[in-house]
Parts: sequence; C-alpha cells; structure tokens
Amino acid sequence: MSPSPSSQSSLSRRTFLTATGVVGAAALTACSDLTPGASSSDKSSTGPVSTAIPADEKITLVVADADDTTMTPGLIAAFRKKHPNITVKRNYTGWDDYLKSINTTMSADSAPDIAQFTSGMQNLVPGRLLLKAGEYGKAYGWAEKFPGLDQITLTPDGKTVGTGDLYGVGAGLSFEGVYYNKSKAQKLGLTVPPATLDELEALFAKAKAAGETALVAGNLDGGLNHAFNVLLSAHLTPKDREAWAYGHQSATIVLPEAEKAAETLKRWVDEGYVTPKVNGVSDNDATAAFAKGEGVFRISGNWAAAAVAEGLGEGAGYFNMPPVTSGGKVRTTGAGVYYCVSSKSKNAAAAAAFLDFTAGAEAAAITAKAGFMAPDAGAMPSQSGLLGDVQKGWQTVVKDAGLQPFIQNSSSPTMGDTLTTQLQLLAGGKTTAEKFLAGLQTDFENYHK
Amino acid sequence: MTTAGRLTGPAPAPGAQSRVERASDSTLHRRPDAARSGRRRRRAVALLYLLPALLPYTLFAVLPLLHTAYLSLFDWDGVTLPSFVGLDNYGRIATDPQLRAAAWHAGALILFFSVLPICLGLVSAAIVSRRAGRRGTTLVRTVLFLPQVIPLVAVGILWRWVYAEDGTLNQALRAIGLGGLTDAWLGSFTWALPAVGLIGSWVVSGLCMVLFLSGTQRIDPEIYEAARMDGAGPVREFMAITVPLLRPEFAVALSITVIAALSSFDLIYITTGGGPGNSTVVPGILIYRLAFGGGAVGVASALAIVLTVVISLAVLVINRLSREAP
Repeated sequence: MSPSPSSQSSLSRRTFLTATGVVGAAALTACSDLTPGASSSDKSSTGPVSTAIPADEKITLVVADADDTTMTPGLIAAFRKKHPNITVKRNYTGWDDYLKSINTTMSADSAPDIAQFTSGMQNLVPGRLLLKAGEYGKAYGWAEKFPGLDQITLTPDGKTVGTGDLYGVGAGLSFEGVYYNKSKAQKLGLTVPPATLDELEALFAKAKAAGETALVAGNLDGGLNHAFNVLLSAHLTPKDREAWAYGHQSATIVLPEAEKAAETLKRWVDEGYVTPKVNGVSDNDATAAFAKGEGVFRISGNWAAAAVAEGLGEGAGYFNMPPVTSGGKVRTTGAGVYYCVSSKSKNAAAAAAFLDFTAGAEAAAITAKAGFMAPDAGAMPSQSGLLGDVQKGWQTVVKDAGLQPFIQNSSSPTMGDTLTTQLQLLAGGKTTAEKFLAGLQTDFENYHK
Repeated sequence: MTTAGRLTGPAPAPGAQSRVERASDSTLHRRPDAARSGRRRRRAVALLYLLPALLPYTLFAVLPLLHTAYLSLFDWDGVTLPSFVGLDNYGRIATDPQLRAAAWHAGALILFFSVLPICLGLVSAAIVSRRAGRRGTTLVRTVLFLPQVIPLVAVGILWRWVYAEDGTLNQALRAIGLGGLTDAWLGSFTWALPAVGLIGSWVVSGLCMVLFLSGTQRIDPEIYEAARMDGAGPVREFMAITVPLLRPEFAVALSITVIAALSSFDLIYITTGGGPGNSTVVPGILIYRLAFGGGAVGVASALAIVLTVVISLAVLVINRLSREAP
C-alpha cells in the first residue's frame, strides 16, 4: 500500500469507527438472544414410550463420544447390522477436548442424538438438554440389565448424583487395580498378591531397595489421581466416599481416613517408590514405559490392560488393590462409558434401542474385547493371560460391590483441574496432606454453596 | 489498512522496501476548503472500499468483543438461563489469588517473549545484514524464521519431547558430562515457567530478526559508509546507527511480542496445562478452564475483557513511547 494522502486516511479512520459503532449497536439491539440459555419449555421428559422401532423408516443417529477403544465403533457397527434402516454416524473427539466442548455441542440445535456422558455434563441436566431415560428404562428393564446406573442418576439441579432421574446407561465399565511385571517380581522375590495395603507398601520398599522404580506413574497431567483414588477407596467408608464424589450437600473430604490416603501417597513419593520427577511424566508415557519393562508395579485401569499385555506379554500380571486389613472387602475406583440421549433427538426411540443393545450378549463380546467390563458379566467370553486376570479381578469387585466413583468426576465440574493441581503440589513437596485435602474441599464448596 | 491489521498482519517480506506508515499522525488538520459535495462523494467511495474489510472485522472481532463484555455481567454456566450480577464477576477477579499468580507469570513471559527475542533478533539481523549478498544468508534467514511458520501446537509437542526426562535436552546434558543437571523440566516447580518461556523465545526470535532486517535495508547505506570513513567498527556502527534508526521496527516488534506474551495460551496448554501446581498458569489458561470446564462463562468473559484492556493499554504505551520526537 502506498502512502495515502492525509485527508483520505483521516476519512477512512473516522468512517471506520462510525460504521463499526453503528453496525455493532444495530446488531446488539437486533439480537435478543445474547445469552442463549435453555428455554423454560421442558422437552426432556418423555411421554409413554415403546420399545418398538419402525423398521420401514430411514433413521439417522449421531453418536458423540471420546472412547478411544474399539468399543463404541464396534457397538455401532453391530447395531447397524441388526437394524439396516438405521444409519449411525460417529463423532469422535479426544478426551480432553471432549470434556471442554461437549456442553456446547449438546446445546446446539444440531446436537448429537447420543453422547458419552462425562464429568461436567451435569450442567446439561438443569438446562434440560438430556432426555430423562426413566420411562425407557422401565420399558426395557434396565435396572436388571445394567450395574452402576446410580452414576448417571441425577437430581434436577444436576449437582447431586445417585438420586433423581435416570439419564442413560453404562455400556462398558472400567475399574482400577495393580499391574505388575511378573519376571521382575520373581527375580526380586516379591510375593504377590499382597493381602493388605501395608504388604503392598512393603513390596514397594523391597523393589526400591533392589534399585527398581517400584510404582511407575506420571503426573504431568495428574495421573497420580489413579493411585490416590484407589487409596481413598481402600481407606474411606463407601458412604463418605459416595457422598463427596456424588456432590451431596455438606459432604466433606477433610476426614482422618482421607488424610491417611493422602499421606500414604505422599510417603510413596517421598520414599522414592514412585517414578522420579513424576510431575514431568505424562500418564500415557508412564503406561508406555511400564509396558516397555520399566519398574515393577503400576496402578491404572483396565483400559491399560491391552497396552500392558502387548508390551510385557507373558510377563504381565494383575491383582486387585488390597484392602487395609487382611480379608477385608475389595474396594476400588471405576467409571465406565456411559451413553445418554439428547432431549433434542428426533429419534429418541431408536437411540434408546441403541442404549438397550449395549446390554446384550452380542455387545458383551465387543465390550470385553475392547478391555471394558460388559454389563452382562456372564456373557463376556472368557479370556486368557492378563485380560483373563483382569476379568477375574472384576468378578471379585462385583461380588464385593466394591466399585466406587472417581472423586473428580461428579463432585464439581472443576475438580479434574483442581485435583491435578493439588496432586502436583503434593508430589512436588509443596503442600501437606492436610492442605491438599483442604484445597479439594474449597473447590467442592465453591460449587455446592 | 487498519491499525489492527498492521499489528497482526504478516511481517513485511525481507527485501521489500516497506516501512511502517504513520499516516494518521499527520492527519489532525484537514483541508477546510474542500467542496462539501465532493467530500461526501469521496466519503461514500471510501466507505465502499472499506466494506470488504470492515464487515468481517465488525462481525468477527468487534461484535464478539461487545458480546463478551455483555456476558461478563452475568452469572452463566453456558447452558441454563443466566442471571444478571452487574460487576460482581470483576470483583471476583480482583480478589482471586490464582489470578495474581497468573498475572505474574504473564509478566515473566514478557521477558522471554519480548526482551530476549528482540535482543537476539537485533544481533542476528545485524550479522545477517552485514553479510547480505554472500552465500548462505538466505538459508540462515529461512532457518531462523522457520519456527514462526510451524503451528504452535506442533511446537508445543516438539518441545515436550525436548524437555522430557529422556528428551534431547537431557541426553545432550548427559553426553557432555553434565548428567547431574538433568531434570524433568516441564514438571519442575522451578524450571517449568522458564522452560515454557524459552520455547516462546525460540518461536519469536526469527520474526524479530526479519522485522529488523527489513528495517536495516531501509537505512541509507551512505550513513554506514560515512561512519566507516570515520573509522567506526561493526559494534560502533550497530550501536550508533542501526539501533537508533530501527525505532519504528522496535515498536512493531515490541507490540507483537508483548501481545503474544500476555495472551499466550496454546503453548502452555500443550506443554504443561498450567502445572506443575499453578506454576505456569497464565490468564489465557484460566479463561479457558473457567469457560469450558468450570461452567463459569461470566467470570471467564470478565477476565477476557480485563486481559484485552491490559493488552491494549500496553500496546498504546509502547506506541506512545516509541514515537519519534517531533
């Protein structure tokens, strides 16, 4: 651009400002919907429902999920085969991005019919953007088919889990336990499985003394939450745990048992059992390192089983997180892939049929192959090797009714970030167990005030 | 060309005889004797010329900004109906300790995004310009400018590998016998912020060099010749001629880099996500967390408005200070 004569330049600047102001003001007054919150009309309730889906009508369902296993695509493919008139489109988004974008996606007019339910989506409940699935649940008999439905049952304000209306089903369940490197355990003379938490810690000490990384972990993105969650499961009473994790009024995590859990984790880091400089290693890299043969133990979920089995082969082992006292019931942390239905869906009956399909025997094979525990545990094909060990562990967890929610999933929408921050402070020696818990409680109270 | 377009637009291509225009400075006094109708017609024509730029700018920059300001007056989770709270969100910002930390970190990043790259850019521009025409200078220029071309997300992933426990940096330290100095840099409470900052320096330095390079080409070679006749060496030449005459480029470089420092988000989100603890949290990260994870759209909007105002003030001050004396 060549230098312009001064008068024109002044003109353009003034015109620019005036026009901008005029257009801006006009658009602002014209647009009455500047804060597009949900309207008051309640579309989330269903009338009488039926389990029949029209077979002669072409139906398209859109599924949004953050499931990076073969489960969701596998279920979709099998469902399409069964219902040739239903086309299912899948919108996959990576986990972190899914968490941050799903509320906007579900608020749009073009919301997907089915979405994976994740933490933070409780805000959609008071916005009436999720379909109340209770009527379908009754029609299909979901209470008998699906374990863990309380994790997707919410109060009308969305702040408390476990009571209120049902919003979906858990198609594949996950839970956490301890993986170990069999050949190293043998070489170091470690007897597994340990009967108590203290025995587990003694194994850590022995491994450390032999120059090994006892517990492989990564906390760059807050991966120590796996260890902390299972420690909490072992120490805290299920009632206290659920009250807090489900966001019940006046619940607290500032409890002596929780402090024990936090102190145990801090001790593991301080004693050098945990991967050195754990704050600089990502959770995925920790799994990869363990699968490559680094360290002896790793606390993670069944979703890591496939990677560990592939890396360590016959040398991969698994046991459930031991209880505090010998012979106690097994308690661990888990969640699952939950599907819910948008209240904007025009094909709710077909969407409900998909949800129901995930409970069947055909789905169980797909779910189990992806490393999840199927709702119909009896229909899961028996597996050998590490996946078989994990499956056996799951049966014990179910028998002991020991599956508890992740504390960061529904206690508050910001708890994931807060827990990561606090765990990094704890592992970095910048905070005490007491202050750590107080930090979590502050976040909880900010949301539930 | 609008002011905003000039600040954020692509850097002048090396070799182009472009200089930053400050046409608006001399426009305070317009000709009073222009015929009224002619002026009106010219105005209409000017508006027409501006329309293609003005329309998208208004739609995608001005209106969203006004909308954000509007939203900042509400308590809104992004889904349900909002409730009007006036300036409460701004009050919350003023008292939030996490935000104070974020402001400090953004300030520290200015050191890495502005001061360091401008020094490096200046020195490398001086070296490259003295060797202009010799073989290899184009290559050097390209290599130094390359980080500016790579998307920041890719840069973040790249540097995560460099800074990892077994990353290239630690490998290099071990190779030269300094294994004791290794660290998991991005997970260290002491080093995470400088580590992230240095990535910024790496990205921005090339841009600064190219800016200064185009500036040096504007300087009359006769001035250098005269200085050389008077017996000035390369250092003296640099300090007495190059630096003072690059004043306009300084203003542009400082503006761009300070904006980059204060509004930084992507690099930090990819490398540390604000951790460990809160040691690399910046306003951009907080806005993102509040709006998309925390369901506090009102507070996030208020913070965004405050950040915008702070950045605008900083740029305004930079431009005032760097103006040549009349």
